[in-house]
Amino acid sequence: MKQPETKPSDMQHLSVAIQRYRPEQDDTPVWQSYQVPYDDSTSVLDALHWIKEHQDSSLTYRWSCRMAICGSCGVMVDGTPKLGCKTFLRDYPQGLKVAALANFPIEKDLVVDMSRFLQHLTTIKPYLIGEPSLVQAGSASAGSDQPSSAALQPQLQSPEQVKRYQQFANCINCGLCYSACPQFGLNPEFLGPAAIALAHRYNLDSRDQGKAERQPALNSKDGVWSCTFVGFCSTVCPKGVDPAAAINQGKIVSTMDGVIQWFSPKQLDATPQEPTS
Amino acid sequence: MSRKPYQPSMPADWWLKHPAYRFYMLREATVLPLLFFIGSLLYGLYCLSQGEASWLVWLSWLQQPWVMALNGLALVASLFHAFTFFRLFPQVMPLRVGSRTLPAGWMIAGQWFGVLLVFLALWWLLGAYHVIN
Repeated sequence: MKQPETKPSDMQHLSVAIQRYRPEQDDTPVWQSYQVPYDDSTSVLDALHWIKEHQDSSLTYRWSCRMAICGSCGVMVDGTPKLGCKTFLRDYPQGLKVAALANFPIEKDLVVDMSRFLQHLTTIKPYLIGEPSLVQAGSASAGSDQPSSAALQPQLQSPEQVKRYQQFANCINCGLCYSACPQFGLNPEFLGPAAIALAHRYNLDSRDQGKAERQPALNSKDGVWSCTFVGFCSTVCPKGVDPAAAINQGKIVSTMDGVIQWFSPKQLDATPQEPTS
Repeated sequence: MSRKPYQPSMPADWWLKHPAYRFYMLREATVLPLLFFIGSLLYGLYCLSQGEASWLVWLSWLQQPWVMALNGLALVASLFHAFTFFRLFPQVMPLRVGSRTLPAGWMIAGQWFGVLLVFLALWWLLGAYHVIN
């Protein structure tokens, strides 16, 4: 049987202050308050929808899945980075303040420019870099009807091998950890929590051979060593990825890499020397 | 349409803006009373090299209420730092036994057990053990 719908006018109302930034008229963000009807199931994202539909159609924000999978609706709620769809008005009986994610340039209202984060993500090559002979076999057989037997070999993993990286593979690229990280706020060149966590995820994958390609960026001053273990990135992560753990485990990997390089014989110059007469 | 992104800046007092940042700064600030403690120790070493009279001066300097208060604060600060460090340690170096990771609680308890052993060793070194027996 269909439940009788409660009219918004019969519902409790809560004050939701939203940080607005309209580039065509504002030089700095300004606060605007709205009275929003809510019940136990009203999320911050629902509240934004209600405001956009009933009070101010110009309110701009990102959203998609409504179930903490797409990572689009990240906002600051009372100064803490949260997913709008996973945060509920019932937990803020005194009202709440919603702002754009910190540490990113604001395009409009709650929409930020995340291109810096995406650049960092690209830098660490967040994909499987395969064993060279298998990759060659795969590309040689591309376009032919009979793929080579090497290319058809399945890349098997035991449950234990999966368990090693699985936690770090749950990242949804929502960017909350970047908003929580004061080191990224102070130095946007810092690769940051999610990118380094993903680098660690692929470095731990038994099918991956790309560690040597990722390590120079991770070893650099804007890599793992810019992290001072504030740890807030792991607190705010909506998927339990624990990027702080990944970065600080990455410091051990980086140290080992440095020690190995220190003791490795120097690469000989490949250019043949001119014979001296 | 041209873009006009608003570039936010970090205020100098960013670390006062959230309880998580205040806790982090408190953790990092534990180094301040420890600096005083290290200064006291170095002063003691210097006095030791200057002979008995100087050593006795250092001992009486140590017994002043403000020095005792600051050194007491250094002890509390180092225990607090240990508390935060021990909690973070399982994240940084998860210990794997076979295919399983050792539970974080065990690692934290193990570290506090190590602290207890150091305290007992110091107690024994300082002679309290003999006084009791």
